[in-house]
Amino acid sequence: MDERRASGDDLALLERLRAGDEDAFMELVNALGPAMRRVARMFVSTDAVADEVVQDAWLGVLQGLDRYEGRASLRTWIFKILVNIAKTRGQREGRSVPFAAIAGEDLDEPAFDPSMFNSSGEAWAGHWSTLPFDWRGLPEERTTGRETLRAIGTAIDTLPPMQAEVIRLRDVLGWTSDEVRNALDLTETNQRVLLHRARAKVRRALEEHLRSVSQA
Amino acid sequence: MTNANLSCKQIVELMTGYLDGTLPAEQREHVARHLESCGGCTMVLDQFRDTIALSGQLTEEAVTPAQERTIREAFRSWRAGR
Repeated sequence: MDERRASGDDLALLERLRAGDEDAFMELVNALGPAMRRVARMFVSTDAVADEVVQDAWLGVLQGLDRYEGRASLRTWIFKILVNIAKTRGQREGRSVPFAAIAGEDLDEPAFDPSMFNSSGEAWAGHWSTLPFDWRGLPEERTTGRETLRAIGTAIDTLPPMQAEVIRLRDVLGWTSDEVRNALDLTETNQRVLLHRARAKVRRALEEHLRSVSQA
Repeated sequence: MTNANLSCKQIVELMTGYLDGTLPAEQREHVARHLESCGGCTMVLDQFRDTIALSGQLTEEAVTPAQERTIREAFRSWRAGR
């Protein structure tokens, strides 16, 4: 799969930015700002420094507008600038952030609890021994209500930061896997593993929430 | 990947790749074949789809007013200096 290039929307937006259109710029700042701050915060020590990194990244974006060639989507390009600045700033703070600290210590483990499957000595080894709760019978207003969204939001907030950011960019904001991989400087495998673990944990939280709803 | 049938335990670990369409053809075929005859894995795959769809309904937080002001000012001085 190729990296998503600048879309028609990106190029139109780029024209407005180069022409000094403040509304277009602030729209972009509001769309990407919160995610940029969270990503910066993974690499630096405080929220205040993360805010400075985001400001520096926007300056870098403005100064680089004339050099942007549309080889990556605009948002990927902006995040690459951000991540570079954040990493450099983190190093200057003497802060070294091991990958496991932000990605989670559990990446090599299965995303599903092994006790849900028959163990290797048993018949049908590796097949389901306990199926997850089946929520298909629940009325839709129970499964898609505000409480459900809150349960999902809370589950995402409690993930290790890089897992949380990958699922936010992919599933909340709808970025492609290539955009996320390039924006966050991840390998293809790491992007997939982080996303899978994140989705599996959020699915689990959703299951628990809907099980309790069904018993209420 | 061998030709051996994959167990449910292995299939669930491939679901993100399956949904993203990034599995190698042979592995994708294994998963598809398994799903045809496994109600449990089919349900869990649907649960992944529900999880993704519901996540897509979450809203992003907002930029703080102070940060917005600082960045707006930076934009104005950039524009003035062009």
